[in-house]
Amino acid sequence: MIKNKNMKNIHFFKAIILVSTFLLTSCDEKLDTEQEYLAGSSIDYSSPEAAKGALIGAYSKFQVMGWHEIPLISVRGDDVNAGGLGDQAPFADTDNYIYDNNFWMYNSVWNSWYQKIVEISTQIEQLEKFREGGVNPALINQYIAECKTLRSFTLLEISRVWGEVILMESLDQSQLKLKSKDEIMKWISGQMDESIPNLPDMRPNQRTDLKGGITRYTALAIKAMANLELKNYPEVANATGIIINSGKFSLYPDYYNLFNIPGKLADENLFEIQYSDLGTASGGEGKNHTWAFYGPSSWQPKVLGASAGWGFYEPSLKYIKFMISRGEKTRLQTSVLFTNRGINKIKEDPNYATLPSWISNTTPSGDVINDYTRAMFASGKHYLPSDQLTPGRKAYGTNKNYIITRYAEILLMYAEAVTRGAQPSAGSADNAVNIVRQRAGLGILSNVTSDQVMNEKFAELGMEWGIRYYDMVRLGKTDELSYDGRTFVADKQFLPYPLAQLEKINALK
Amino acid sequence: MRKFIFSFLALILVPIYAMGQEIKGKVTDVKGIGIPAAYVVAKASNKSTITDVDGNFKIKASVGETITVSMLGYETVNAKASSETMRFTLKDSKEDLKEVVVIGYGTAKKRDLTGSVATIKGTELTKTPSGQIGQAVQGKIAGVQVISNGSPGDTPIINIRGVRSLYGDNQPLYVVDGILVDNIDFLGSNDIKDITILKDASSAAIYGYKAANGVFIVTTKGGGYNKPAKLSYETYFGVQQASNVVKMANAEQFTNFALESGSASEIGSINAAIQRFGRSRVNPNLPNVNTDLYKETLRLATMSNHSLSVDGGSEKVSYSLGGDFFSQDGILKMKNSYKRFNIRGSIDAKAKDWLTVGAKFVYSRSTKYDDEASAWSQIYYAVPILPVYDNLFTDASPHPYSDARVLGYRDSQNPFPLLDNSDRLGVRKRNTINIYANFNIIPKELSFKTSLSYNNREDNQRTVSLPYFVTNSYQRDISESSIERKSITYENYTWDNVLTYTKKLGDHDLTLLGGTAFNDDSYKWFSVRGFFDPGSGFSRNIPQTWYLENTTASGRVSDDYEDSNKPSVFYALSYFARFQYIYKNKYILYVTDRREGANKYQDKYINLPAFGASWVVSEESFLKDNNSINLLKLRAGWGRLANGNVPANRIKSALNRTTIFNDQVLNGFGFATYDDNLSWEFTEETNLGLSSELFNNRLTIEADYFIKDTKNLAIPVSPIIGSELSYKNVGNLRNKGFELSLGWKDKIGENFGYNINGNFSKIKNEVTNIGGQDFINRGSAEFQQRLVVGQPLDVFYGWDIVGVYQNQAEIDADPVAVNAGNIKPGYFRYRDIDGNNILDANDRTYIGSPLPTYFYGGSLGLNYKNWDLSLAFYGQGGNVILNRNRAEVIRTSGRNIDAEFAINRWHGEGTTNEFPSSEGYRQSWNQRNSKFWLEKGDFLRVQNIQLGYNLKSDKLPETRFTLTADRPYLWSKSKILFNPEVGNSGVDLGVYPTPSIVSLGCSIKL
Repeated sequence: MIKNKNMKNIHFFKAIILVSTFLLTSCDEKLDTEQEYLAGSSIDYSSPEAAKGALIGAYSKFQVMGWHEIPLISVRGDDVNAGGLGDQAPFADTDNYIYDNNFWMYNSVWNSWYQKIVEISTQIEQLEKFREGGVNPALINQYIAECKTLRSFTLLEISRVWGEVILMESLDQSQLKLKSKDEIMKWISGQMDESIPNLPDMRPNQRTDLKGGITRYTALAIKAMANLELKNYPEVANATGIIINSGKFSLYPDYYNLFNIPGKLADENLFEIQYSDLGTASGGEGKNHTWAFYGPSSWQPKVLGASAGWGFYEPSLKYIKFMISRGEKTRLQTSVLFTNRGINKIKEDPNYATLPSWISNTTPSGDVINDYTRAMFASGKHYLPSDQLTPGRKAYGTNKNYIITRYAEILLMYAEAVTRGAQPSAGSADNAVNIVRQRAGLGILSNVTSDQVMNEKFAELGMEWGIRYYDMVRLGKTDELSYDGRTFVADKQFLPYPLAQLEKINALK
Repeated sequence: MRKFIFSFLALILVPIYAMGQEIKGKVTDVKGIGIPAAYVVAKASNKSTITDVDGNFKIKASVGETITVSMLGYETVNAKASSETMRFTLKDSKEDLKEVVVIGYGTAKKRDLTGSVATIKGTELTKTPSGQIGQAVQGKIAGVQVISNGSPGDTPIINIRGVRSLYGDNQPLYVVDGILVDNIDFLGSNDIKDITILKDASSAAIYGYKAANGVFIVTTKGGGYNKPAKLSYETYFGVQQASNVVKMANAEQFTNFALESGSASEIGSINAAIQRFGRSRVNPNLPNVNTDLYKETLRLATMSNHSLSVDGGSEKVSYSLGGDFFSQDGILKMKNSYKRFNIRGSIDAKAKDWLTVGAKFVYSRSTKYDDEASAWSQIYYAVPILPVYDNLFTDASPHPYSDARVLGYRDSQNPFPLLDNSDRLGVRKRNTINIYANFNIIPKELSFKTSLSYNNREDNQRTVSLPYFVTNSYQRDISESSIERKSITYENYTWDNVLTYTKKLGDHDLTLLGGTAFNDDSYKWFSVRGFFDPGSGFSRNIPQTWYLENTTASGRVSDDYEDSNKPSVFYALSYFARFQYIYKNKYILYVTDRREGANKYQDKYINLPAFGASWVVSEESFLKDNNSINLLKLRAGWGRLANGNVPANRIKSALNRTTIFNDQVLNGFGFATYDDNLSWEFTEETNLGLSSELFNNRLTIEADYFIKDTKNLAIPVSPIIGSELSYKNVGNLRNKGFELSLGWKDKIGENFGYNINGNFSKIKNEVTNIGGQDFINRGSAEFQQRLVVGQPLDVFYGWDIVGVYQNQAEIDADPVAVNAGNIKPGYFRYRDIDGNNILDANDRTYIGSPLPTYFYGGSLGLNYKNWDLSLAFYGQGGNVILNRNRAEVIRTSGRNIDAEFAINRWHGEGTTNEFPSSEGYRQSWNQRNSKFWLEKGDFLRVQNIQLGYNLKSDKLPETRFTLTADRPYLWSKSKILFNPEVGNSGVDLGVYPTPSIVSLGCSIKL
């Protein structure tokens, strides 16, 4: 009896000991372990190299452009048609000033470009931390100025497209405001005034730390664009005058190759998006734009195997005829790729029944463009001759840079401002226009009028970034924009807000 | 064979020996029906056996010795052995439903459960020939929705009682022999003894934060003490065929549709096809090509399974060992298959009177060749006027694939370059091991169990894109062909310690349990991708050369968006307790609590209580002797669960960013701009239920009503500008519904038995709070879905269609159309909800929910002598599915369409009031998010029909043959969906079709 009870007790004690040992060796302290990746990469805010990394992060975000983003911004001018017949019908409608706020492209561009603004603003905030960390304040000021320039350009284009848009001055989204286009342009001009003194005084391709990066002159160019939208011609002349007077920029002599590989980081470029395939035949971490959007959908390239494109973004008949009647060879050959079908279409017009022999479907580099249903012409400025592709690479246009603004545009903005009454601080309007004309192989003009300057702009900058469309809209030239069956009226200037954004925008009103 | 010899000997040796005589007998129940597998023991002779299918047995014993016959559910009977054939009649045990069910950290009698718990036996699961156990559960349990996945080796998605989390997983917790795992893909149906499903919070809460979506407790087969060894072998072989293939437009329908579109490029492409491939002899306006791509890309495929197991036990040791091999080919014509090999074992030993130890392990290795998911949309969209091969491409290798671009389309469209040249291999190895020790401190009263489990899963993936050549502009060169290797390791340790105290004092029956569980999860992965070097030894035809060494070193990229080599580690420590009190076997009270601590969220600790009560009305004096009502139990429970599957706050550490300057890559960093602020997402559930068995246990009824509220729902909140979502706990969601299961089984005469089962459940899902916002946008920009108070999760938001404009007069008479301008006959007429004659964003409304509102399933079983037949069906409905395939036209034209649309498009006044014209289909007016793109998701499917024959012979071991048709028939309200079982997002965009399978099986037990 007693033995049994003792046995029971022993068992009971065994149990207590066992249980307490198990419970006491609990692993409570492990709960305080930070998840390993929390304790991970931390940034050294005192390092200038790391600060440069923050700046590179901003450029990186800016550089990524979907195939549809720039076309949506640029398609509505009388220099270019949507192309891509039968594909993306609402894109073609947009070109014809028929807008649908449910079209996925509007929402995508809005979201994507605003995300650029948010992320660049985040980088500015990070750079302030580097200032607190002790990095050289002048360097920080420069980097912040570069970010502000990237951000301002992005906002400039958003406002050109939609007019009254949202302004972000700090990352706190409860402080967002809806501002009219004029207010936005003034804000941009102010941002550039803040940035210009802090940016390097050189050409982008003279920078050794980030070759091709933003400099003082890039900011001046954007200031000029913003003021052009405001019709503030004196300020336009001021800003462009400073660029011209610096003597640092010059036009790249070979217009055709300005847009190809030799023209990468040319002395003419004030701002370009850099891409590269790193000189390798495949793979690697290179970055490229989807140039295929602009390529003809059928061709016989000089280098076998080079890929064709999707057949969008067709230079308009109006633009081509305009160029032919001006006797333009260099600029027409560079800006337009012809197909036989297209050439025949031009000839149907009795005024253009005979064309110079160099107008053919073989490009100056030897690529032959076949007829295809989607369009009659393709954009030459968005074309890369197949013999300039890095050997082994096939994708259309790979390795090309995307020029945003160049010296020719500066000269012509200056000339227009002067013809509209601004002080000619950097030479006459004639001088500016003639520099551009000479490069294009045309004769000299004198006592140039603003209409002549606008025509020069049309010829020089056709197909680029919708500059023509925004100029015509600014000058109220509804007749120019009502061509080839389209009817443009002033209230079609801006695209409607994307449907998915409506409620958010209305909440800010 | 041994039995034959024995009986022969017994017959010959007529004189009765004092030692060892063959005693024969039959065991029946009170109705005289034989009881199979009843346990017969002759203790003195140390012999035991079990009765056969008819209740007969033979045992070697001495006359006069005590023979004991026992059986679960019946009272044990003892009798003295006699030389005559003995007859045992077993009465139903009054301790009814002694059936023991595995619940969290222990077992309970089924009768004592207060929550909503369902069980499903292994034999039910083996009826469905599938490599995935989840598939076999479909339609069998009320409230459990299983969404199948056709690709071999892919696991189905399981939702218990509705969708309750947006950001966290909705998958239940799987507990396999005490080990918490995330997926049971490594087990075969033959490995399972039974599965208990804890559906409501009061039963699942004890498992803590991983159990928010319900729990599947899986018990693998084990041996038994004092059980004679049993060897069994099961096999089946089946053939699969794609079922419900969507009919696409043929060349004639497609050509008509293209001609009517008025699109010059579409018409140009038809002419280009005629030029290239010639004219059809049947109709000279058509090209001589009529490709049915589904027919070209789908094939019959086989599957087979073999499993072998042995289990048994002596007085002190019980063991079970088994292995299976499963193999399944995919119905898509590419290297697409799944093979799995499993071995499992378990051993339990009574080492001492007070100590039982045991171990269980499962090792599984599977090799899966994945399908190329992007091929499905190519197969759908490829135009029928394009043949598969185009012999005009004379230099092609390996095959002259046709190219739609030569006809003027934007892309090549042909899926075969992808199907033939993708090799997606994944090898998965899994180990689960569990060892335990159970200390019987005070026999029958106090016991302590400690159990350590280890679960490891290792995935090695190799994805190769092989080269091919058709023309210079249509090829994948060796230097563009790539190989990617990815290695993912997941490990989990769990250490449970549980102390259980049981005491019975008169009418009071008390069980108290307390324990701790510690969990350590770690997850890491690493991947490298490279492009092949044309100068290396790589060859398309020699898989041994498909290695990273054969890629160009400079082109290799390691996926390191975040530092992928660092593991994510999660720890959790919990304390739990359970208290169960039963008074007079009638009143049951059940309380559990679990305190969980985890390092995943900012709030480390959470408390999860649950309680339940039940009243066994049938034990009351007024019902106790009622013969019709065998069991009537009312149950109620409440519990709180937390959803630990919600991902932790995303860390805003620096993200690697690169850009190009001067033809060089420069590295920088960026920061995410989201601002997550996540803590525990809770679910609180109230459950009321009734369980009943009537008419001699022939009719069973289970009914439950539940309200489940998810609080602190983690919702993605979009910023005002920019696209990065932040996750915050700002919402509440409610799932409310009821479940009903009925079962009837009976026998007519000696030989014929039948059973009928049905289950039905209805769930209403409603968003109850979204943090004060009017709504949150979800879905895609073109097909908006919303989170809005008062509507189900992700309700579709768009325009309502009234009809189609039939002629110009109708258009001119409708101010909405006049104001829009450019409307033609054949366009949709939408409802102008605000009546202002302008069709705009304000005319949108809620047009359907992606979540089904009702589910039902049932089965019918018949057995006659040695034959049996069973049929099971399953259905659901009340939801809509976005037919994203048909809606792809918003992105681009030049695609094929389904035949239903091609035939029914509007092509003249009065032809239809539901479909737009071909020309209208391409206009954005008709591409708005409207009811046209939403298909009804109601369907009914015959899940399984099985015919079985049991071969009974004294000479042969127990053998059974089966012929099964799995998913042979589907009726669905929409005729153009492959598989109406899309996931809960409600969007159909290229889903692997589910196959119908016919299989032949055989099982032998020794």
